Amino acid sequence: MNNDNGHNHVLLIEDNPGDADLVRLRFVESKSAVQVNCVPRLSDALACLDVETPSLVLLDLNLPDSHGAETFRRILQKAPNVPVVILSGQDDEALATKAVHMGVQDYLVKGDITSKQLERALRYAVERQALLRTLETTRKQQLEFKNQFLSHVSHELRTPLTCIHQYVTLLLDGLAGAMAPEQTDYLKTVLKSMNQLHAMIRDLLEATRADSGKLRIEPRCINIGELIQQAVAMMRPTGAEKRVSVEAGPDQTIPLVYADPDRTLEVLINLIDNGIKFTPPEGSVVVKASMVETDPTAVYLAVSDSGRGIPPESLPQVFERLYQDPNAVDGNRTGLGLGLYIAKEIVALQGGRMWVASQPGSGSTFSFTVPLYSLPKLLLPVITHQGCLREAIVLVRVELTPLSKSLRGSWKEICQRCLDLLRQCIYVDKDLVLPAMGTSGPVETFFVVASTDMESVSIMMDRIREQLGALPKLKASGTLLVTAEAIPVAPAADPRPLEQQVWGVADYVTEIIQQGLWSKANFTEKENRENAH
Amino acid sequence: MRTESYTDGQPMNRAKIMVVDDDPDLRHALSLRLRANNYDTVNVCDGYSALAMAQKEHPHLIILDLGLPAGDGFAVLKHLQEYPALSAIPVIVLTARDPETSEKRTLESGAIAFFQKPADNEELLSVIRASLQPGWGGGLLS
Repeated sequence: MNNDNGHNHVLLIEDNPGDADLVRLRFVESKSAVQVNCVPRLSDALACLDVETPSLVLLDLNLPDSHGAETFRRILQKAPNVPVVILSGQDDEALATKAVHMGVQDYLVKGDITSKQLERALRYAVERQALLRTLETTRKQQLEFKNQFLSHVSHELRTPLTCIHQYVTLLLDGLAGAMAPEQTDYLKTVLKSMNQLHAMIRDLLEATRADSGKLRIEPRCINIGELIQQAVAMMRPTGAEKRVSVEAGPDQTIPLVYADPDRTLEVLINLIDNGIKFTPPEGSVVVKASMVETDPTAVYLAVSDSGRGIPPESLPQVFERLYQDPNAVDGNRTGLGLGLYIAKEIVALQGGRMWVASQPGSGSTFSFTVPLYSLPKLLLPVITHQGCLREAIVLVRVELTPLSKSLRGSWKEICQRCLDLLRQCIYVDKDLVLPAMGTSGPVETFFVVASTDMESVSIMMDRIREQLGALPKLKASGTLLVTAEAIPVAPAADPRPLEQQVWGVADYVTEIIQQGLWSKANFTEKENRENAH
Repeated sequence: MRTESYTDGQPMNRAKIMVVDDDPDLRHALSLRLRANNYDTVNVCDGYSALAMAQKEHPHLIILDLGLPAGDGFAVLKHLQEYPALSAIPVIVLTARDPETSEKRTLESGAIAFFQKPADNEELLSVIRASLQPGWGGGLLS
């Protein structure tokens, strides 16, 4: 039982002085040079663990301030690397098993155990814990190595792939002379296979990221209906090749959601693509969005196909990595079997869940949820003060317009940096930068709700212009427009409860943003189109 | 210094693009594609040659790989910024590296766009066209 200092230091948590003395006596009997620090309460033990790390914790379960499983749960949580042995008066096999499952090294019963046995049990507990720690470190190292390896491989694969892509497209575009129709056809097959290879490399990297918690999402406030239309339009040609129709369900009014538009589109495309793959000609794939009465916090999306369905025994496995349909017979290349795994990870990162229902012979439905965008929830802490609505509230709009439409990636990056800067221009407890709105088009608009009046807000607007205007990349590639509009509030005269007043403001803001009611007439004198040129 | 220059014997009023990549096959293919779109090209294979050639040729635009012998793409970007005569040349980075780890740094180092290999030809060409328009400091007509 040696810790780093070469001392055997046991933290004994025992409220019965008699029992504590007995344990000390046992240590003396076994001639082990152990230093025992005894505390009577769990709270004392937790405080001790803050200060120093013992080589072992010996724990009674029923303490003045904690009982049973709760006692070891809190200790394990506090000191996950210290071996914990329970020394209890209760011979409770079920509790003992639970304790060991949660990471306790041993469960000893008072009175059952001799000095020699106690000494040995504690020594083995320390050994086992050290072993576990080594295993855990090795596991983490291996995981990290695997991720680095996959990342390296997918990078190296891209170089030859790029060369193939370049020369095939050169030939297809006739830049190396005219091609016979048959040659063109064959090259198109090469290109198609190359694209599949490309998608697999991408999936490999995405799955690696999901594994190591590095999958990034940038949620925005978006209209999910538009996203469905976009996904359906993108996948129709793929469906048409197989004579499978791809449709969006009946258009309903679906509230705005809070999700990463690119990632959510990726999930939808993945599910539609899967649907098409497993649906015979003349079948259909339908994408629907709906609200469920029992869950007011999320929008439910469902992608249903009329394919052959999934046998019940395979259902639990479809979201697992590398799962491939064992009955794929029609020469469909199924890919790496990472698509659904990645999709599920993305949905979970956005705070949703994904599941599948299937009737063999009549099709499958993959469903997932996307959290609803709740403006009142976001606004509440900002636009209220001591239980009242603020006296004045202003909506500031920051509009970024690119000079050229084709610099997509860089423009997105610039807008992201503007948003980061914008967050530094506000008073955190009085103002709120709303999540970015809509699928990111060329013109990016950010909104700030500020708890101030039109006169004072000009200070913030100047600051925004100064900070964002100083970005060289924005100067070179876009224009900045900052405007403000007062939101009508009258907290003193409003008879409604606070919650409803907040809802009122949220509705007003939503209306302005969503329906483009931001009319020129409402602009203030402060309006100032700043062309950075 | 190994360079490949293609001018097609055309009058020199076309935009000149320098391609920096250590893969000769890829350089060749990119050049063919660019020439087919009415650009002149100068090709170099490493970071050192890239700087020397940029000073000599003053290209209107540079397509730059990140993993290069003799000074990687970031070193090239840094040195380009240091020469007033070269700092205005728009640089498009075309690399096999992961955008997740490299895009931000690339753009912060002065590149105007980031493409991961294999890039879509049309997207790449449209960014090249946009970058060569006036108003993009260092563009063709400035």
